[in-house]
Amino acid sequence: MAGLTLEHVGKKYPNGYEGVKDFNLEIADKEFIIFVGPSGCGKSTTLRMIAGLEDITSGTLKIDGRVVNDVEPSERDIAMVFQNYALYPHMTVYENMAFPLRLRKVDKAEIDKAVHEAARILDLEKLLDRKPSALSGGQRQRVAMGRAIVRKPKVYLMDEPLSNLDAKLRVQMRAEISKLHDRLGATIIYVTHDQTEAMTLGTRIVVMKEGVMQQVDTPSKLYAEPCNLFVAGFIGSPQMNFIDATVGEAEGKITLTFGGNTISVPESKAEALKPYIGRVVIAGIRPEDVIEEHEHAEDKRLSEPIDSLVTVYELLGAEAMIYGDVDGGAISAHVSATNPARTGSRIRVAFDMDKLHVFDKETELAIVH
Amino acid sequence: MATRAQGKVGTNRMRTFYAILIPVLILFVAFNTYPLITGFLYSFTDSKGYGAFNIVGLQNYADLFTDTRVLNSYLFTFKVAVVATILTNVFSLMLAMALSSKIKFKSALRGLFFVPQILGALVVGYVFQFLFTWLIPALFNTDYTILGDPTWAWVAIVVVLVWQSCAQTTIIYITGLSSVPEDVYEAAALDGAKGWNKFRYITFPLIMPSVTTNMVLVMKNMLMVFDQIIAMTNGGPSQSTESISFLIYNNGLSGGQFGFQCANAVIFFILIAAISVIQTRFLNSREEQL
Repeated sequence: MAGLTLEHVGKKYPNGYEGVKDFNLEIADKEFIIFVGPSGCGKSTTLRMIAGLEDITSGTLKIDGRVVNDVEPSERDIAMVFQNYALYPHMTVYENMAFPLRLRKVDKAEIDKAVHEAARILDLEKLLDRKPSALSGGQRQRVAMGRAIVRKPKVYLMDEPLSNLDAKLRVQMRAEISKLHDRLGATIIYVTHDQTEAMTLGTRIVVMKEGVMQQVDTPSKLYAEPCNLFVAGFIGSPQMNFIDATVGEAEGKITLTFGGNTISVPESKAEALKPYIGRVVIAGIRPEDVIEEHEHAEDKRLSEPIDSLVTVYELLGAEAMIYGDVDGGAISAHVSATNPARTGSRIRVAFDMDKLHVFDKETELAIVH
Repeated sequence: MATRAQGKVGTNRMRTFYAILIPVLILFVAFNTYPLITGFLYSFTDSKGYGAFNIVGLQNYADLFTDTRVLNSYLFTFKVAVVATILTNVFSLMLAMALSSKIKFKSALRGLFFVPQILGALVVGYVFQFLFTWLIPALFNTDYTILGDPTWAWVAIVVVLVWQSCAQTTIIYITGLSSVPEDVYEAAALDGAKGWNKFRYITFPLIMPSVTTNMVLVMKNMLMVFDQIIAMTNGGPSQSTESISFLIYNNGLSGGQFGFQCANAVIFFILIAAISVIQTRFLNSREEQL
């Protein structure tokens, strides 16, 4: 196992399009790194550059301290799991897993041992004689994993490995991958556009947009302290509420005004907002931090109440989501299933001010969390 | 009402189907099935192609196996067909791989290499006859022409056959190659498959369906070689390039062996059908479902 270093890595296509710009990242041994972002953000391109399937047009890539920019994919000591599994259709499960070792002229008995070991870990022992066409999606996925495992590579690369599975299987395989990471003690780089996968699997998450790295952090930090509007909106489901608000000052307190609503900002966040007095900022609050008056609010520092008209009520089971209009914007809130609010109800909500985020409207960078 | 309306629509559609089908069927029977059957019947006679004839039973079939000219034509045809089929497939596959790689003017080159396909076999035959008889000897300043050499004339025939049949075969291989998913190649690259290993373990097994198609098609076409022989050697020198089709045509229609060559044609037909079936069976067993 090994660490990875990407220094100023960039990908510029012959037509001038820059797929990845100035990507810098130090990945420690045994980390589970997630690249997440919307389609076309450069996450897969970055992964493919690490794999050697795409040329790096600028910067350096080091695996275990060795610069590998010009090293063949097979010489980089990495294994990759593809989105469509990329199994060899003419080979049995056994042959698929044995193939990388066979090419490396590994001793037959050793190959046999490695394949059976991987098959045992992935519960594929009964399927070894089957061809990929006779396997289900989940089984193919496991074979693709198996083919990676037998190599015992320094780094595992996974390109949206679960995106072709149905929802139930995806949750199951997510847990499997997590277990696998612990078991193998492997360095894994994992690409996904699914933020749930990102949050649950990663030790650190790299959020990307339009080829530019936005933020690198642990899942909890990323959730609690998104560095800009994009990250705040991308991480978390349902999405964070954003409201344009004017910063003001009244009775020595900093306030935020949107429509007819004015809420006072706690002192801990006030200082950062002082330079913005008189200007419009974007207030961000996650649905679970919007507290309806019937909900528990103990120990929470609530804002002044805000009137809202519920436009949509969604029962999710144990919880419910309400989407409502407020003067100056729209707000979604997470409530318990017992909450009496329904479509058409007039309700009062308050923000948990400790969880309020404020973003600069021009730069979209976070001002205060 | 509904069913009656449906029934009416149904009959109308059937009428259209028959209107399309029947003319073709009449032509097919008239020019294919009927001659086939009469040919089969003539194979039991001593017909010269004209005048009166007697029924001789299976005598023609028995004679076929002792007639050295017939046996030589089979030897020649199979020698040419096997060599030409192998060479065509090898060259076509190489060409298809080159034309599938990232090269400039790919479409233009693909078009260029397809040209032999649209040329008539007779035209190609005559052009190559000119090449072999005049141009090449002139180039090497010699009197020797390969078409005049009973030992090597078959090689010239093979050259022409391969040159022309590569076009279609290459197109089929290009299609086969493009059906291999790119990520399988990428996975193979990561697994360490390069060059010959990549071809042997990944590319070739995955284009097996195209190999089957091409082997069967080319073999069948080569066994039926005719036009090129007419154009280049007319069976000579000293009957050394008489293919089966050529012999059936030549001796059947102008050699007074109509009944005898009909028997030859029947055997030849069965042989080609059998070879195609065996080839398909054998190669299919090596094919993989993608």
